[in-house]
Amino acid sequence: MNQSSESTTKSVFEGEDTIIKVRDLHTYFYTDLGISRALNGVNLEIPRGKVMGVVGESGCGKSVTALSIMRMVAKPGKIVQGDITFFRKDKKKNDAIEEINLTKLEGMGPEMRSIRGAQMSMIFQEPMTSLNPSYTIGDQIMEAIILHQNVDKVEAERRAVEILDGVGMANPSLIVKRYPHELSGGMRQRAMISLALSCTPAVLFADEPTTALDVTTEAQILDLMRDLQKRIDMSIVFITHNLGVVAQMCDYVTVMYLGRVVEQATIDDTFYNPMHPYTSSLLRSIPHVGSHQKDRLKPIRGVVPDPYSKVKGCPFHPRCDKAMRGLCDVKVPGLTVVGKSHTVRCFLHSDVEEESTYVQ
Amino acid sequence: MINYIFRRIGYMMVTLAIIAVLGYLIVELPPGSYLEFEIARLRQQGGNVSQDQIKALEIRYGLNDPTYVRFFKWITGFVRGDFGESFQYRQEVKDLIGQRLAFTISISVFSLLLAWGIAVPVGVYSATHRNTIPDYIITVIQFLGLSIPSFLVALVLMVVAQRVFGQQVGGLFSDEFQNAPWSFARFIDLLKHLWIPIVVIAFGSTAGLSRIMRANLLDVLGMQYVQTARSKGLKENKVIWKHAVKNAMHPLIMILGGSLPGIISGETVVAIVMNIPTVGPMYFNAQLNQDLYLAATFLMFLSILGVLGNLLADIALAWVDPRIRFE
Ligand SMILES: Nc1ncnc2c1ncn2[C@@H]1O[C@H](COP(=O)(O)OP(=O)(O)OP(=O)(O)O)[C@@H](O)[C@H]1O
Ligand code: SF4
Ligand SMILES: [Mg+2]
Repeated sequence: MNQSSESTTKSVFEGEDTIIKVRDLHTYFYTDLGISRALNGVNLEIPRGKVMGVVGESGCGKSVTALSIMRMVAKPGKIVQGDITFFRKDKKKNDAIEEINLTKLEGMGPEMRSIRGAQMSMIFQEPMTSLNPSYTIGDQIMEAIILHQNVDKVEAERRAVEILDGVGMANPSLIVKRYPHELSGGMRQRAMISLALSCTPAVLFADEPTTALDVTTEAQILDLMRDLQKRIDMSIVFITHNLGVVAQMCDYVTVMYLGRVVEQATIDDTFYNPMHPYTSSLLRSIPHVGSHQKDRLKPIRGVVPDPYSKVKGCPFHPRCDKAMRGLCDVKVPGLTVVGKSHTVRCFLHSDVEEESTYVQ
Repeated sequence: MINYIFRRIGYMMVTLAIIAVLGYLIVELPPGSYLEFEIARLRQQGGNVSQDQIKALEIRYGLNDPTYVRFFKWITGFVRGDFGESFQYRQEVKDLIGQRLAFTISISVFSLLLAWGIAVPVGVYSATHRNTIPDYIITVIQFLGLSIPSFLVALVLMVVAQRVFGQQVGGLFSDEFQNAPWSFARFIDLLKHLWIPIVVIAFGSTAGLSRIMRANLLDVLGMQYVQTARSKGLKENKVIWKHAVKNAMHPLIMILGGSLPGIISGETVVAIVMNIPTVGPMYFNAQLNQDLYLAATFLMFLSILGVLGNLLADIALAWVDPRIRFE
């Protein structure tokens, strides 16, 4: 942990300040079936105070990326390689930035635990199961507050009520006494958001937070998250399958394929100037406003290879319409900056290649 | 919560009433009871004395009354603490069973505590260290524990106690303390004898309980709220014990509620093998010999214990699971 220079926090996203930088991250699961290479050299940057969407087909490693950064990957999973750097801003010290290499910390050790829940927190897809059925909403929120903020029970409860009020929960002083099963799905997700925000984190990982909710409730929760993000000035990493939600919520987008990041760009570039063929096909596979009825949706050809096997060359080449024989099936493209706030991993846009010829 | 407990006590009373009726009928039903045998004997003797005795018996046990009147006499007596007389022993049932019940209850409670005290931590350990060598070793021991019959464990322990520790085994007291008044030395002597039945009875259930604990905890550890607890920055120990174990206890507590019959029958085997004066062997004999009041009294006490166990389990369950409280 040392004071960082200006240059290390400078982002690929122009005008942004990086809060988390992930370099060449490999997270594997050692299962009975073999080694599942869930993350295979993830490179990405999370801009401070902005909302970044993470998209990609099921199994591409979105959740594992978030869990790896939170250092919550549990056995049989393990981070085997790479660096995660957290640029922690200390408001008490004149916004001085401290650089912490999270991969060097022990996942369940005291330093990491003092960051987790306080500096970064997470909300999950299933509001029905993400709160403990045996404790009241208040107890669960207060537990985090007492752990990180050094206050007594009375004060913790007062703050819990205040936070619940802040997420638009009706009757917050009654809700703290309620158990999760007494609340609706939308209320539980609000409670979960309160829990995650109880210590005003700098980064919030939201792993498909609205997938399980009905459309109306989803819209309310999205509004709320946008609103809170501005109020607290935090970064949100918004994991989703729903590109419509991305368009509505995000400033930047990270596209993942098979345990790697294939493209990072601003929201406009992602929708109007996608460079990676995989991003383009993701966009073609969703309906969008203004598209003609006769334009058929195109599902992406082929299936994601299973993460236990190795693919030679660009991992997307078996499914790519633009694959170049003799190049894409032999060499692995490297992630390169191709424009303002835009990085991509594809030979169509750069000839940078990686040393190894196998991705998995 | 108070409502919930009162409702449970209400159910408990109804259950006991049904057991009392059925139990009495079943014990009385087969012909050829001790009493009939006794009356036949007195008839043969003939004479006035015998006639008077028969009269007295008939009046005391209401032999000429219909069954429901006799049941009513018995149950009202039972509630007042008059359990009737044992035909076999020619003694008041009250005087016969007191000490035995005390031994049975203490052996059951201690072996339950021992079984739980071992099973819960072992189950938690093997779930949190799944597929490591210690987990494999624990698994092997558990399967041995499940497959070895308790009388064999009792015999082995008796041999070990006698050969290795030079202890006198069987019974509850060594000869010198058998009829001695209560003293600290006598109490220690009692413990020396009691540990074997306690260990034997705990042995079988520990294996099963820890297996169940492991399986449940593995399920719970996969739940999202365990990740939520970790994401707060809690210590792993707190994540496991506060957030996971509490939710993995339900099946164990439900088993606890129904475990008394199993303990009594396990206790019977061990008590017979080890010659310990507990409820089991005497109840078994009373049933065999149709000793009506003795058998019915045992049945009632065991049922009361069983139902009480269930009540305690229900209360414990409501404590760990708020969803039950609000049913
Ligand atoms: N506990 C685990 N054990 C074994 N493999 C795992 C485990 N968790 C994740 N993986 C593997 O890691 C890969 C990435 O999983 P991850 O959950 O990150 O996908 P995802 O992008 O979040 O997908 P989804 O959109 O379905 O949530 C998957 O191929 C999965 O098989
Ligand atoms: S590198 Fe080749 S195969 Fe891979 S996405 Fe680009 S064009 Fe397609
Ligand atoms: Mg996921």
